[in-house]
Amino acid sequence: MKSIPSLLGAALLALCTLAPVAQAQNKVQIGIVTALTGPMAAPGVFQMNGFKLAAEELNAGGGITVAGRKYSVELKVYDTRANPSEGATAMQRLATVDKVPVVLGELSSGVAAAIAPIAQDYSLPFILTVPTGPNLTEQSNPYLFRVNANNQQLNVALAEFLSKQGWSPISFIAWNNDAGRGGVNGIKELLPAAKDGYVGYFNVGEVDFSSHIANVRNSKSQAVMLFMDEEPGSLAIKQIRDAGLKLNLVGTLAMGSDRFLKRLDAQKLDGMLQYNAFPPNADVPRIKKFSQLYKAKFGEEAHGFSAQSYDGLMVAVAAMQAAGTVSDGKAIRDALTKLNHAGVIGNIKFDAKGQANPQVYVTQWCANGSRRILYPDSAKAGCGAG
Amino acid sequence: MTEALLEQVINGLMMGSIYVLVALGLVLIYGVMHVVNFAHGVLFTLGGYLGHFFFSQCWDNYWVATLLSMLSVGLVGYALERGVFRPLSGNLRNQVIASLGLILAFENAVIALWGPNALQWKVASTEQLVSLGELRFSVHHLGIIALTMAMITALGLFLKHTRFGTAIRATSQNQEAALVVGIPVQRVQWSTFALGSALAALGGCLVGPLFLVFPQMGDVPLVKGLAGILLGGMGSVPGAVVGGLILGVTESVSTLFLPTDYRDSIAFMVMVGILLFRPQGLWGQRVRGEE
Repeated sequence: MKSIPSLLGAALLALCTLAPVAQAQNKVQIGIVTALTGPMAAPGVFQMNGFKLAAEELNAGGGITVAGRKYSVELKVYDTRANPSEGATAMQRLATVDKVPVVLGELSSGVAAAIAPIAQDYSLPFILTVPTGPNLTEQSNPYLFRVNANNQQLNVALAEFLSKQGWSPISFIAWNNDAGRGGVNGIKELLPAAKDGYVGYFNVGEVDFSSHIANVRNSKSQAVMLFMDEEPGSLAIKQIRDAGLKLNLVGTLAMGSDRFLKRLDAQKLDGMLQYNAFPPNADVPRIKKFSQLYKAKFGEEAHGFSAQSYDGLMVAVAAMQAAGTVSDGKAIRDALTKLNHAGVIGNIKFDAKGQANPQVYVTQWCANGSRRILYPDSAKAGCGAG
Repeated sequence: MTEALLEQVINGLMMGSIYVLVALGLVLIYGVMHVVNFAHGVLFTLGGYLGHFFFSQCWDNYWVATLLSMLSVGLVGYALERGVFRPLSGNLRNQVIASLGLILAFENAVIALWGPNALQWKVASTEQLVSLGELRFSVHHLGIIALTMAMITALGLFLKHTRFGTAIRATSQNQEAALVVGIPVQRVQWSTFALGSALAALGGCLVGPLFLVFPQMGDVPLVKGLAGILLGGMGSVPGAVVGGLILGVTESVSTLFLPTDYRDSIAFMVMVGILLFRPQGLWGQRVRGEE
């Protein structure tokens, strides 16, 4: 019996010492789905870097304040391996076990399409920062938001630029999948004035583009558009240049980074155009600041996926702050619909379908391995700025 | 159009040459052992990887790297004959299953050693260009055709005019009779297996710098090589050469008239078409009891 007061005293003492610690340990977990292994592991790194950079910046500033309470930000990361069923398991866990207030990320449009309905079921806001499949934001899912530009937005910008060049006929070499075939049809519709050149599709794993190249040459095209990612892109460009085709090359945003330059040489890339979501060297204060921060932390050129993901996390935090909650998914969703956030990639405001409308650029490789910005006119800048 | 045709014939001869190298290995091994080695494609891949490895890690010389890769894969072929195919000889079914299993083993070993991502192999001859009128090809591209032709000639002379070549031909014609006249059949078998494997490695080393070195790089050459020997006639060396080249040129010229997606199906349709009229293949001979 004697021990009760002493026990109580000890317990009180413990509580007193714990109290300030407990206060500082208030944390909010934010769900992240991305690919850390598997076929999309390389772009997954860029996405994660963006999230990490944002979380570190928030925590270095003492965390975030929501409804008068301070929280540190913690990322709860799941690897979906670009696999829809892994993605579904991750989303389910984030909603029911981790009970996070908001989920961000994903790289593959296929995985995003599979897991967005799960987020909706649990009234959990899901913010995409990389997938570009246009139909994702056409599913009337009120809980789905997308920070980055979708293929349709990218195509519109590119088509506007191409129509001014007047190149005709235009040929296409594209993935034999939804993205490739959709991309070709999208651009063709937007460029009615250009005559059809050659259109060829290749399968994953194909490395020999010689048949396509002979056909492109035969079509007397003035430009060829390559709808593919880094690896086939570098092979196709090398083979086209080696074959001596004199025409304009147009690529996707995967072909506009220093990483891509390492696969080829500047001479082969010289003059090639690509649509781009983020020119890391642009003379714009918000972009410059981010690029410097990124380079200091990761020792390489900033990537568009990182900037988009960084902005995504900032948008999620701003929405929680506006809603005054770190748990009510519905309130956070409502806040997201009204949000107007000045991000690295530009002003982020979601339309009625949850799609933001960031600036899309057209950049071009210079002979010295740097890039210039050609589109939009307001951002036009010389070599080294793209 | 004539230009495009010429371009595609040259491209077809280049890919055809690669198919020929694979087909020759398959046909030699089939001749002396009567087994189709389905793992031949992964030996092609292994050749590419080893060539890249020797080039980037040891000697910065493409020819040395290629030779070393051929030697190493030749040794692997020797080990496979002694360790896998010899113990299973007399049981074709098990040999085929074993060769299918080897595909998995080798492909995953390559991934475990070098990772799943494609490697670039930068060789000077892929950067030097030759102009033919409007057309341009890399020296490497034309070199593949020239080297394969030289290889075929050398192999033909070896088979026809050397004692060992004669022993190989004798063994593939009739193993028991060869044994009776004193030909060391077992030695012929392992050395032919090693030679065939080295030819696959040469294919991998030739095509690697032109495109990429990646774990599945041997898949298409294997299938096309098999089609080539069926087309040319099972067991016939000149048949394998002509079969491989016909496949390469047909598929690449077909893309000028039909969508490129049909390239592979065209190649196989030609094969089926020819086999309908000559089931034994172009050079094959009907062998009693083997119909």
